[in-house]
Amino acid sequence: MRPLDEIETTAVFEKIFKFTGNNLKNIVENPSHEGPDANAGRYCFRLNKTKVYYVSESLVKRATNIARSNLVSLGTCIGKFTHAGNFHLTVQCLSLLASNAKHKVWLKPTSEMSFLYGNHVLKGGLGRITENIVPGDGVIVFSMSDVPLGFGIAAKSTQDCRKMDPNGIVVLHQADIGEYLRMEDEL
Amino acid sequence: MGKKGQKQKIILPPELPPETSDNEIEVSDEDLQFVDENRDYAGFVSRLDTQSITKHVTRVADVKEDALEALYEKRLKKKQLQKEQEDNKLEVDPVDALPVKTLDGQLLYRTATKTSRPSEEGETGDDDKEATADQSVVKLTKAERRAKLKKSKKEAKKQGTELAKTEVEQTPQAAVLDEVKKDITAEEAFEDKKRKIAELGIAVLSDPESNIKSLKDFLQICKDNDHAIVKLGLLSLLAVFKDIIPGYRIRLPTEKELQMKVSKDVQKMRYYESTLLSSYKAYLQRLAALEKQSSFQHVAIRCICTLLDAAPHFNFWESLLGVVVRNISSSDDVVRRLCCSTIKSIFTNEGKHGGEATLEAVRLIADHVKAHNCQLHPDTIEVFLHLSFAEDLGRSKKTDEKNKVKNKRNKKRKNVEEPSKLPENDRKRSKRELMSKMRGEVEADYKSVAFTPDVIEQRRMQSETLSAVFETYFRVLKHTVQPVAASSEANAGASGSHPLLAPCLRGLGKFSHLIDLDFMGDLINHLRMLAAGGSNSENTSGKSLTVSERLQCCIVAFKVMKSNLDALNVDLQDFFVQLYNIILEYMPGRDQGEVLAEALKIMLCEDRQHDMQKAAAFVKRLATFSLCFGSAESMAALVTLKHLLQKNVKCRNLLENDAGGGSVSGSIAKFQPYASDPNLSGALASVLWELNLLSKHYHGNISTVASSISSMNIAHNQVFLSNVSPIQAFKDMSLEQQSLSPPNDLKQSNGKRKRGSVPFRAEHSLDTSSVDKDSLRKKLSSHFMLLRDIKENQRLRSELDHATSSLQLYEEYKQQMGKDKRDKPEKRARLNGLSK
Repeated sequence: MRPLDEIETTAVFEKIFKFTGNNLKNIVENPSHEGPDANAGRYCFRLNKTKVYYVSESLVKRATNIARSNLVSLGTCIGKFTHAGNFHLTVQCLSLLASNAKHKVWLKPTSEMSFLYGNHVLKGGLGRITENIVPGDGVIVFSMSDVPLGFGIAAKSTQDCRKMDPNGIVVLHQADIGEYLRMEDEL
Repeated sequence: MGKKGQKQKIILPPELPPETSDNEIEVSDEDLQFVDENRDYAGFVSRLDTQSITKHVTRVADVKEDALEALYEKRLKKKQLQKEQEDNKLEVDPVDALPVKTLDGQLLYRTATKTSRPSEEGETGDDDKEATADQSVVKLTKAERRAKLKKSKKEAKKQGTELAKTEVEQTPQAAVLDEVKKDITAEEAFEDKKRKIAELGIAVLSDPESNIKSLKDFLQICKDNDHAIVKLGLLSLLAVFKDIIPGYRIRLPTEKELQMKVSKDVQKMRYYESTLLSSYKAYLQRLAALEKQSSFQHVAIRCICTLLDAAPHFNFWESLLGVVVRNISSSDDVVRRLCCSTIKSIFTNEGKHGGEATLEAVRLIADHVKAHNCQLHPDTIEVFLHLSFAEDLGRSKKTDEKNKVKNKRNKKRKNVEEPSKLPENDRKRSKRELMSKMRGEVEADYKSVAFTPDVIEQRRMQSETLSAVFETYFRVLKHTVQPVAASSEANAGASGSHPLLAPCLRGLGKFSHLIDLDFMGDLINHLRMLAAGGSNSENTSGKSLTVSERLQCCIVAFKVMKSNLDALNVDLQDFFVQLYNIILEYMPGRDQGEVLAEALKIMLCEDRQHDMQKAAAFVKRLATFSLCFGSAESMAALVTLKHLLQKNVKCRNLLENDAGGGSVSGSIAKFQPYASDPNLSGALASVLWELNLLSKHYHGNISTVASSISSMNIAHNQVFLSNVSPIQAFKDMSLEQQSLSPPNDLKQSNGKRKRGSVPFRAEHSLDTSSVDKDSLRKKLSSHFMLLRDIKENQRLRSELDHATSSLQLYEEYKQQMGKDKRDKPEKRARLNGLSK
């Protein structure tokens, strides 16, 4: 386990920034009440093998006692680095992103299952959409009862969405909570 | 009288002393004695021929019997005229209050030149006797000075009767006539001109066709030197034209038509029309010239406005409209109001002019706004609110496109079919062409004559009007968003540096359903910038918008969004954030509560779905808000709160005393009261303790609503929705506050109540009001007794303190005295000792 270096930090923050925008500081400066300390510690990012974890400082302190080979996971995994060095967010960071999301999309009940199987979001399945979405923005997908279902990248702006036909793709799928069942081994 | 005496060669006897009644003369005793002694002395008195002497003295000696009366009348009239002259002169405020004393010893009060208005009413009163033509004149000027008009009417009537008298007297007396002529002041000429105007007016109105030439005489009168006469002439001409102008536009005959031989009637008609038109043109030119001069401005504007109002279809309406629009934002209240009301009437009475005037007016106003860079009086744009568009204007475009597509398809089909029909007779084709031509001509003729407006034409005009209106609105919005650099200090007038913003927003809200989708994104962007509190970082004082304006922006954005729901249900995130923060910034005195209530209603109550976290955040903030302000705002907030809680079931855990939110708290574990984003506030983890405090509110309504909200989870009737909107609640409460009536119980019973069931509510209130009154009285009395006791205690305590302090001082003083007495002999002993 080691902390992230410059390049890796920028990569991680860039990806998260796409989804949260200025709320990124809420993630970074989140006070954590874990541990016996009276003062609230902070959360930090640590790299173990190729995975990036979001951990509170008190937990990190204790985890330094475990050897690298034996350490499986700590805190919340938010993503992993590929061989080529790119960073991908995985579905496990959904709760972190959902609470600080800038752009949201609500799905109609009929199209929830489709999204959970890994398909993209079509316009006909859109219940609601936040204003002012630019193509390429990170979007969190919710159900109508405000349960976060996953996230993706916006394919069209909100304006264009209005004029599209109902079978056009609005959000490109990146991760969803169905992966817990479908891709158990890869997580 | 003395002067005239000097002109005659006869030496006249001196004037009689003023008459005194016999009662006033006190004869002393000495005088009596003297007369008794010298009876011969005063004997001559009894032998005097008093008759002849009086005749000579009053200068009627030479005049014969029957003319005597006329002479007396004349003298009376002269005196009255003189008095009137003085009155008229004195009516006007003297420029210099200080009088001047001539060598004769006469005091002259200098009078200013008459302002034409008082005399104007004097003359209009006279005209009142005459026909209806002048009555309208009276109506026009009456509007402002009724009391003076009555007085002047009386005077004018007197003048009129005297005029008649002068006419009667002219025949018998040649000498008297000379004197009368010398007495003719400008006032006589005035009267003459007035009468002439009246005569002309009557003549033209009674038989316009033959007397149309008199219009030219009218115009001559308008070129008079006397301001009052000119004004009178203008106004009477206005009345005449209003009645004469035909219901169609006059089109002057072309050269070709002039050459044709026509019947006498047609010739007469042509002559009439051409004269009418030329005199109308001259009249308008005169009006336009006079409008520039400030003394005539009011009259000229009034004439122009009335003409435009009455006959917007007639020739030259464009120039009239131009003048009106130019004056629509003048600083003079009267002028502005006149122009605005005219334009409003043009907009509402579209039947008179078939829509052209509306379009032109809107275009002119848009150019006006552009030229002045949006620094105008808000009335300028407020007139747009009176525009009305056909409801399906936005949709008509789509149907047109559909039709076009259909036509294209049909045409394609026809093109495919036609080549097969090539070998056709020329005759048949020409016949068909002729028939279609004729049909076209017939249609064109029919259209030109028909009074019903052509639908397509109307639609085209309306869409152009709409685009001009929106162009203006967007220009105003853009202007507001831009940083106003140097000009903001120069504009001291109106309401801040963005006077047009309020009516612009209102107009956008009204016409939101007609906005094209393309502009929506841009519009929402601008509104977002405005709602965020004005322009860029150069936000010095006076540039940022007020709370009400920002709320208006949010309201408009929501209205716009709602009217386009069929396209997509868009969630206006930023506006919710703005509303969340604006609720904190609200101040009851400074900002309008109705706007806030409307914002709450539109954004929270009528919206269909909400983010749980956001809804909870608003619930919590509204509860806090209702604690801080008066009953009206609290009621509005509580109603919204109830609404939100009923719709979003998850938020009801705020009513449970489960600090930390338990399992339903969402991702944020702790409540951040100062968070600016409702989504990050963590309100699901808080508790609505404010409701407990509110259930003990002094106002009965609020306490009942608060307690009903608290018991929402337990109550069985969870299905119904409250039917009081925040706006209504706010209005009700603020009205109640004003009328100081005892609080009525607004308890809402179970479900099936329909909207607007006011009588039911009233009955209910009657039942419980008596109970409330008694308990209220008791509570109030106990409260005030308590207050009084507290005050009494304070007073007594202060007196006690005072008394004790004074006693203490006395004690000390006594001690000091005792000490001194004791000390003194010791001191003396010591001194003695020392000295020894």
